[in-house]
Amino acid sequence: MVNVSLQVNGGTMSADVEPQALLLDLLRGPLALTGTHAGCDTGQCGACTVHLDGEAVKSCSVLAVQAQGRAVTTVEGLAQGDKLHPVQQAFIDCHGLQCGFCTPGMMMTAACLLKKTPRPSEAEIVHALEGNLCRCTGYVNIVAAVQRAAQAARGDAA
Amino acid sequence: MSAILDTLRFGSGRAINRLEDPQLVAGQGRYTDDLSYPGQLYLVFVRSTYAHANIRAIDVSSAREMPGVVAIYTGADLVAAGVKPMPGPAGFPRPDGGPAASADRRALAHQRVRYVGEAVAAVVAESLEQARAAAEAVWVDCEELPSVVNAFDAMKPGAPQLCEQAPDNIAAAMRHGDAAATAAAFAGAAHVVSLDIHNQRLAPSPIEPRAMLALLNADDDRLVVHVSSQMPTGVRGTLVDAIPGLSTERVRVLVGDVGGGFGMKTGAYPEDIAVAYAALTLKRPVKWRAERIEEFLSAVHGRDVTSRAELALDAQGKVLALRVRGVANVGAYATATGVAIQVIVGPWVSTSIYDIPLIDLAFTAVMTNTATTGAYRGAGRPEAIYLTERLMDAAARKLKLDPAELRRRNMIRPEQMPYKTPMAQVYDCGQFEKILDQGLALADWQGFAARREASAARGKLRGRGIATFLEWTGGNALEERVSVKVTADGFIELGSATQAMGQGIATSYAQLAVDVFGVPIERIRVLQGDTDRANGFGSAGSRSLFTGGSAVDVVSRKTVDHAKALAAESLEAPLQDIEYAAGRFTVAGTDLGIGLFDLAGQQADAQILVDGSSTAGAPSWPNACHICEVEIDADTGGVHIVAYASVNDIGRVVSPTIVRGQVEGGAVQGIGQALCEAVAYDSETGQLQSASFMDYALPHADGFIGFKTQFDTSIPCTTNVLGVKGVGELGTIGATPSVVNAVIDALDHAGLGNLGEGLQMPLTAERVWRALNLKKVDPSPFRAEALGA
Repeated sequence: MVNVSLQVNGGTMSADVEPQALLLDLLRGPLALTGTHAGCDTGQCGACTVHLDGEAVKSCSVLAVQAQGRAVTTVEGLAQGDKLHPVQQAFIDCHGLQCGFCTPGMMMTAACLLKKTPRPSEAEIVHALEGNLCRCTGYVNIVAAVQRAAQAARGDAA
Repeated sequence: MSAILDTLRFGSGRAINRLEDPQLVAGQGRYTDDLSYPGQLYLVFVRSTYAHANIRAIDVSSAREMPGVVAIYTGADLVAAGVKPMPGPAGFPRPDGGPAASADRRALAHQRVRYVGEAVAAVVAESLEQARAAAEAVWVDCEELPSVVNAFDAMKPGAPQLCEQAPDNIAAAMRHGDAAATAAAFAGAAHVVSLDIHNQRLAPSPIEPRAMLALLNADDDRLVVHVSSQMPTGVRGTLVDAIPGLSTERVRVLVGDVGGGFGMKTGAYPEDIAVAYAALTLKRPVKWRAERIEEFLSAVHGRDVTSRAELALDAQGKVLALRVRGVANVGAYATATGVAIQVIVGPWVSTSIYDIPLIDLAFTAVMTNTATTGAYRGAGRPEAIYLTERLMDAAARKLKLDPAELRRRNMIRPEQMPYKTPMAQVYDCGQFEKILDQGLALADWQGFAARREASAARGKLRGRGIATFLEWTGGNALEERVSVKVTADGFIELGSATQAMGQGIATSYAQLAVDVFGVPIERIRVLQGDTDRANGFGSAGSRSLFTGGSAVDVVSRKTVDHAKALAAESLEAPLQDIEYAAGRFTVAGTDLGIGLFDLAGQQADAQILVDGSSTAGAPSWPNACHICEVEIDADTGGVHIVAYASVNDIGRVVSPTIVRGQVEGGAVQGIGQALCEAVAYDSETGQLQSASFMDYALPHADGFIGFKTQFDTSIPCTTNVLGVKGVGELGTIGATPSVVNAVIDALDHAGLGNLGEGLQMPLTAERVWRALNLKKVDPSPFRAEALGA
């Protein structure tokens, strides 16, 4: 077992994990943050996407020990208190989710995109979401949600 | 008054945000794998690496010694313990007149394995890592047998045999219609078109894999089963039937959030029995979460039927008869669902919205060394409608008619309703030409030539495809119970055995309850997924709203009536003077009154509880016109969807946002079948070649332009109280033929004539490129000689 200490959603957390444990395992297991989902085991579906030092990463493709001392944001840390992140609100408003299983990963990917690219084109949104699979929505409402979130975020900043 | 209007803004017909979403976007969903119990164990399956083999021995001795291992079960262990096989395809005939055949489908294979990935042993350990490590150490000694993965090969004399009762590997077969009259119609027809079509095998692929967490409750000795399923009651029934000593009363099935189902999570799986058995035997919580590869290997697959479909027409393009010979590959273990989908459900809609007087349909369900097939979104209807709509286009091409015009000439007219099909199905209503006309307008059908020219100017081949169709819904399970509980603390709880898997049942039911109770939607709670509270068929076949929603309406009204009587007592007024509006009973002409929730507080147990049911009179028949335009890159063969318009008749619309999401999301699944998805087995070894999302191509976010989606709500269903028709599968059914018809149209226009009609799905860039550049398509997948024809 290896002790991993890291910042998660703004707080310090630590847990003992097997050396081969994935960041996904650490989050869902010892840290009980089950909003991050395991969907494919091979790095394709993106349901496990979190932010690692601000970058969207698939937590099934990062070892828990690689997160040592770093900052992780999960879907549970997306909202500011009671105020939903613009991406969360936009997914609700645009019916960007049905079963909701891929949604945390989709939103984390989208939030990272918007931080770097506040005015993404449709092509940029589609490109960013390439590594996230959704079987319910057909993606159209997800793309629309990211566009709406971008508008909302810019509106807040203005 | 404004408060009432405000409330009704959330009633039926209003586009509102879903009640489900705040939890889900916050990461607070409760999917099965999110749950854990102290001291829970982890179960990992050992799976067959052979497509077909005799199990000589399973040596678990070294695995048992590994750290953390608590138990290992083999098929022989379960047989010794009296665990029974799952039900077979009872009720269907074989061609020899005998009953349907299948080898026993067991929780763990016993003596013989019949497909790659079949579970042969289950390892239970303290941690998932330990269980995985020990599973690697289980040694399965197999004598490999010849295998067969193609249904036509499986019917050949001398083919590897899947079960003793079926030397020809035919599980079941059915014929429908009048073969002689159909043959005569074909003989006298001015035109005949014929297509050989493989409707390829698909992996349903909800993003949430199957999962189960089972435990024996020490307090009452009951088995509590958390599972991701569309049919909680069905799972309970299967467990009770299979595991000795279990009774219905001793099992509680709980379903939380379900991360997509699409039919794949209907009913119990063999694995579920093994997990429940382990929890019962070990008296500790046992968890299993399928890995994605297990979903590809052993969750049910959909479709997989190869057909020769023929249409006879007169000189004017009126269809005289439809003839289909279909061979379905139902996998290693034939189930009632897998067989029914192909041999009866598909045929129910084969004549679709067309007035086709004669049919001759024959379907054969064949067992092979592949995973079992079952329900996948549409289940039989996509296969049947794909044939019919492909035939319509082929006929239009042959007769040099506009494909919309040919369809129009054959549509059942409104004055023919109710209309009885040659399959004895009765359509209660439908105005198919009206839907067609709206579809043509929405898609700007007449303006296509200009768009084709514009595409050509950019070096692209443009094609246009149409599908006009209907589908059968409801699974023939037309009754649904609902309990309505009004509580003193101000909530109305609707208990239903229908089961959400992402389709927003809670929101739609709450909107219906707002209609009746006139209270704010926040006051409505919808409870699903608990067999201690509600039991029924579950959610499948686009049935939830027209059966469960109707029950919500009926029982809610009953509740208001019941509460009126209670209010009359409370207010000491005659019943006929009691009026109800917006959560309050009043005595007419006075200012006397009492709130609904206060009234509940006055009752003995501080609640008003009404349990009731309603039964829809018949299946509903949603229908639509879907029109797709594609552009093909001639250099690469890549197909891009550039326009997609649909007009859908789903009767009355309760939740506009949700139904649009159902049609468009469903359409993308249908597009996936048309363009990219396919389950592939190696024909020599029976190994699954498409066992991850690297090899099985799900649609990604690229390539989906905005859909134009409309609903015509003017044709309500006449056989349920709401007037609604099912919606969940409509998009999936319509998209596949409209996309493929568009590609074939583009190829035709590029000078290939009807060569493109020989293309098989998925229409990958490679296949389209070969057709365009080499003028070649794959040989026909249909082999008439295998059927003795």
